[in-house]
Amino acid sequence: MEALIVLSIVLPLILGAIIVFAKNDILTSLLTWMMLPVMSILAFMIYAADLPIYVDTPHVLHWIITLFDFGLLAYFLYLGAKRKSMLVSVLSLVQFILLVTVIWVLPESSTANIYVDKLTAMMYLLVAIVGVPIAIYSIKYMDFDEKDKHLFVGLVVAFLGVMNFAVSANNIEWFFAVFETTTLFSVIFIGFRGDKEAVDNSTLALWMNQIGGVAILLALLIMIKDFGVYHFTDLLIIDKETMSMAAFGFLSLAALIKGAQLPFHKWLLGAMVAPTPVSAILHSATMVKIAPFLLLRISPIIEGTLLAKLLILTTGFVFVAAAIFALTQDNLKRILAYSTISLLGLMMLAASVGTPTAVAVSIMLIIFHGFAKGFLFIEAGVLEKVFKIKYLQEMNMLLEKAPLTLLFIFFAFLNMTFIPFGVFVGKWLMIEEASGLLSQGSSVLLIALVAIGGVFLSVLYMKVLGVTIKHHRFTDIQVQKQPKTFLFVAIWFYLWLLALTIFIAPFAGDFVAQISNSLTGETTPIHADGLSLVVGESTLYFWQILGALLLLAFIHIAPLKFKFKNVDQMHPYNCGEVYTRQAGTYDFLFLKKYEGIANMIAITLFMLVVVLGGQLL
Amino acid sequence: MMGLLLTLFSPIIGGFIYGVERVVKARMQSRQGPPVLQPFYDFVKLMQKRPMMVHSFHASMGIMYFISTWFAMAVLMMGNDLLIAIFFHVISVLALTIGAFSVRSSYSIMGAMRELMHVVSYEPVVILLAVSLYLVTGSFDIAKILTSDITPIFSLPLVFISFLGVMPMLLHKSPFDIAEAHQEIVGGPDIEYSGPFYEAVYTARWIEYVYVYFIVFLFGGSNYFLGTFLVVFSFIFINAVDNSTARLDYKKMLKFAWFILIPLSMLNIFFVVVGAN
Amino acid sequence: MNDLRAKSPWITHYNTGGCNGCDIEILAALGPKFDIERFGMLNRGNPKQSDILLVTGPVTLRCRDVLRRVWLEMPEPKVVVAMGSCTHGGGVFRHLYHTENGIDGIVPVDVWIPGCTPRIEAIIDGLIEGVEIWKNKTKEKEYMVGHSEKLLEKIGVLND
Ligand code: SF4
Repeated sequence: MEALIVLSIVLPLILGAIIVFAKNDILTSLLTWMMLPVMSILAFMIYAADLPIYVDTPHVLHWIITLFDFGLLAYFLYLGAKRKSMLVSVLSLVQFILLVTVIWVLPESSTANIYVDKLTAMMYLLVAIVGVPIAIYSIKYMDFDEKDKHLFVGLVVAFLGVMNFAVSANNIEWFFAVFETTTLFSVIFIGFRGDKEAVDNSTLALWMNQIGGVAILLALLIMIKDFGVYHFTDLLIIDKETMSMAAFGFLSLAALIKGAQLPFHKWLLGAMVAPTPVSAILHSATMVKIAPFLLLRISPIIEGTLLAKLLILTTGFVFVAAAIFALTQDNLKRILAYSTISLLGLMMLAASVGTPTAVAVSIMLIIFHGFAKGFLFIEAGVLEKVFKIKYLQEMNMLLEKAPLTLLFIFFAFLNMTFIPFGVFVGKWLMIEEASGLLSQGSSVLLIALVAIGGVFLSVLYMKVLGVTIKHHRFTDIQVQKQPKTFLFVAIWFYLWLLALTIFIAPFAGDFVAQISNSLTGETTPIHADGLSLVVGESTLYFWQILGALLLLAFIHIAPLKFKFKNVDQMHPYNCGEVYTRQAGTYDFLFLKKYEGIANMIAITLFMLVVVLGGQLL
Repeated sequence: MMGLLLTLFSPIIGGFIYGVERVVKARMQSRQGPPVLQPFYDFVKLMQKRPMMVHSFHASMGIMYFISTWFAMAVLMMGNDLLIAIFFHVISVLALTIGAFSVRSSYSIMGAMRELMHVVSYEPVVILLAVSLYLVTGSFDIAKILTSDITPIFSLPLVFISFLGVMPMLLHKSPFDIAEAHQEIVGGPDIEYSGPFYEAVYTARWIEYVYVYFIVFLFGGSNYFLGTFLVVFSFIFINAVDNSTARLDYKKMLKFAWFILIPLSMLNIFFVVVGAN
Repeated sequence: MNDLRAKSPWITHYNTGGCNGCDIEILAALGPKFDIERFGMLNRGNPKQSDILLVTGPVTLRCRDVLRRVWLEMPEPKVVVAMGSCTHGGGVFRHLYHTENGIDGIVPVDVWIPGCTPRIEAIIDGLIEGVEIWKNKTKEKEYMVGHSEKLLEKIGVLND
C-alpha cells in the first residue's frame, strides 16, 4: 500500500516532467489521458485499503525537502527583487529566518511523515476524478491560440501530484514545504501569460500566500515550544483541556489565507487572468481546498474553543459578504470566483464547528463544490474560446448561440444551490446542525449567517441563469459543434454529478459519514435508508430527491428539446409598439461601496482570530 | 392520508381562499364584489381560450411553475421536514423567473428581477421561522410540530409578527406586490402567459395561498383551534394592509425585511435560547 | 361551460387618442357604486389575458398599428367593444388630419356604445351585450380588417 501512496504522489510529478520536456503532442495527450484511469484506480485502491496508513520515509528525504524549502525561498527572494516588490522580498526573508530557527529547534521525532487516512484518500479521489479531466481539458484548451502548451499541461499534471502530497503530509514542516510549492505553482500559473496584469496578479498571489507561509512557520515554532511535537497525528493525541491555542490560531490564519477569505480574496480573483483551466483546477480539486482540509485536520482540537467560535464568525461573515459582492460582478469568471470564496467560507465554518454532522457537511461541500465548480469553469473556458464570451452582458440569448454549453452551465448552477444536489444537502444539514447547537444554547449568530448567505447564493445563481437565457426568440436552435475533448470532459462531470445526486443518500450516509466518523471519532447521525437520506430525526425521502431531480431536469433540458406542437406563437407584449426593447438586469453596483467596510470588518475578525483565538493576550 | 388529500385538493382550497379574498377585499372597499366561486369561473374561461405562447420554453415554464409549486405543497404536507419544503419552494421560483427571463419583454424581465428581490427579502425570515419552530418544539417534523404540547405562538410572538411582515411578499400583496405591480409592469413575470398557460400560473398562485397559510397554521401547534384563529386573523390582516397601503419600491422592501424583520426574528430566537438556559 | 365562462370576462381598455372623458367613466364603473366586478369583470390591462377589448377614442394614425397589435395579442374567443362617439367615425375629431375616423376599418367590432360620453349604465349595458356575443364565440382564429401578410409585416409581428 505504501508503494501505491508514493506512486500517486510521484507519478504525476514524473509524468508532468516528461510532458514538459518531451514537447510532443501525441505523448502529451497519451500520458494525460492515461492518468485518468491510473490515478482513479490508485485512489480507489488506497481508499479501499485498511486506513489509516503511516508511511515511513528515509531520513534523507527530510533533508532534501528542507533543502528544497530553502531553494524555494531563494527563488521567491529572487522574484521579489526582479519584480521590485518589497513585500515579497521581506516576507521571503522573514520566512527564511523563521525556517532556520525552526530547523535549529526541531526535535527528533519517530512519527511517520506521511499519513493517509480516509480524508486524504477522499482528496486523492477528488484529485483523480475532478483534477485529471481538467488536465485533459487543458490540452485542447491550449490549442486555441495560446503559447507553451506542453509546459502548461505538464505543470497542471505535476500540480496534481503536489496536491496529493499536500494532503498526505503529516509532518507540519513538510506541510509548509508543499504549501509553499502550491504557492509557487499558483504564481507560475497566474503569471503564465506573461503580460503585465498577469505578472502583477501573480505577485499579489505570491505575497498573500507567503503570509500564510509565515503563519505556518510561526505555528510550527510555537508548537515545538509548547508541545514539542510537530506532526498532525501527534497533536491530535495531546490532552485537549490543557492545550494552548496559539499555534492553531496561526494555522487557521494560514488556512483562511489559502482559502481566499476576505480581505485576502484578491489573489483568487486575480487568478482569472490566467488560462481558464488554471481557475478550474485552483477552484475545484486543489489549492483552495487545502484550506478546509487543514481546518478539518485540526477541527477535533479546536472544537468548542474560542478560536473555533471566532473562526465561525469570520468564515460566516465571508460566506455572506462574498455572496453579496458576487451580485455586483459582471464577469462570469469573477462571479464564479466570488461564489467559491463564499462557499469556502461555509466549508471552513462547518469544519470549525467540528461536530460529526458539521464535519460531514464540510466534506460534502468539498466534494460537490469541486465537481460543480470544475464543471462551471470548464464551460466558462469553452464560452471564452469557442464563443468569445466573457461578460454576463454578452451572455444574453446564449440559448441561440451555444445551447449545449448553456445546458451544462445550467446543470452546474443547479448543482450549486438547489435541492436535491450535494451542495444543497450540505447547506441543509448545516442549518439543521446549527439549529441543534442553538437548542444547546450557543451561536445564535451562526444560524443567521448560514441562513442568509445561502439565500444570496441562490439569488445570484438564478440571476446568472436568467441572464444567460434572456431575450430568447422564436428561432430554431442549432446545436453547434464543439471539440470532442471539451464534450467528453463536460459529459464526464455531468454524469458524475447526476450519479452522485441520485445516490446521494448512500453517498452521504456511507461514504461521507465514514470519513467524518474517522475524523471525529464519534458516530455521525447520517445514514441511508434505502435511497432516502436520514439525518437525526429528519428524512429527505427518495421520492423528494427524485421529484426535485425530475423537475429540475425538465427545467434545464426544456430550452433545448421541448416543443409544444399546434400552439400559435405570438410576439411578446410591448405596449403594442413595434420597436424592440432591451431590458437589463439589476447589477447591484450600489453594494460596491460597502466593499471597503466589509474588508475592514474581515481584517478585524482576522486579528481577533489570531489574538483572542490564539490566546496571545 | 390527510396530507395526501390536502395536497390533491390544495388548488381547490386555494381557489376558494382566493374567491373569499376577492369578496372580502370588495367589501372593504364597500363594493359588492364577485361571487365566491369567481376564481373557478376564471379557471373555466382560461381553459377555453385559444392557446398562444411566446415560445415553447416560456410556456413550459408556466406549467413547471404550477407543477413544482404543487410538488412543494406535497412535500410540505407529506414530507416530514419543514426546511426541505421551504427549499422546494425555491424550485418553483426558479421556474417562474427563468421563464420570465426567457422572453424579450422588458416587463417580464423586470418582473423576474423583482421576484428575485422578493426571494432575498422573505427567504431568510422563512428559514429563521423554521429554525425557531424547531427551537421550541424540538423538531423540524411537521407532524411533530402539529402534535407537540407547546404552542409555538406563545414563545414566538416576534417571529409570527415578522412572518406577517413577509406574507405580503410571499403572496404579492400591497405594499410589497413589487414583482406583480399590475399598473406598473402589468403583472411582471406573469405577463406573457395567456390562455391555458396563464391558467397554470394562476392556479399555482392559489396553491401558494394554501402553502403560506399552512405555515401560519403551524404556529398553533397542537391547538388546532388557535391555529385556525391565527389563519383567519392573518388573512384579514393581510387583506386590510393590502387595501390600505400603496406599493413601495424594492429597496424599501429589502430594508424592511433586512433591518426590521430579520432582527425581530433573531431577537425572538435569542430570547428563547436565553430563556431555555 | 359557456355559461360559466360568461361569468369571467376580463377587460383590456385602450384609449386611442380620445379626450379621456370615456376613460374616466370606465374608472367610475370600477368603483363602489357601479362595481362591474360583480360580473366577474376585471380591468387587466394585459391583452394576453383578456377577453374584451374596450376601445375609446378616434384612432389616431400613431395608435392604429398599436391597436392592431394589441388586438392580435388577445387569444380567441374575444370581443371588441367600441365606446363613445369618437370610435364611431371620429366624433368631434372627425376629418382631422391625424385620425382614422373611428375604429371601423381597423379591427372587427362587436358592440358599439353610443354617446359622448356614454353613461355608465350604457357602458355596463354594452359590456353585458359584448359578453352575450362572446359566450357564443369559439376558439376559432379571427382576422383583422384587411388582414394580409403585408399588413402583418408592416406592424412588425412576423419577425419579432
Ligand atoms: S367619445 Fe366623447 S368623451 Fe369619449 S373620448 Fe371621445 S370625445 Fe371624449
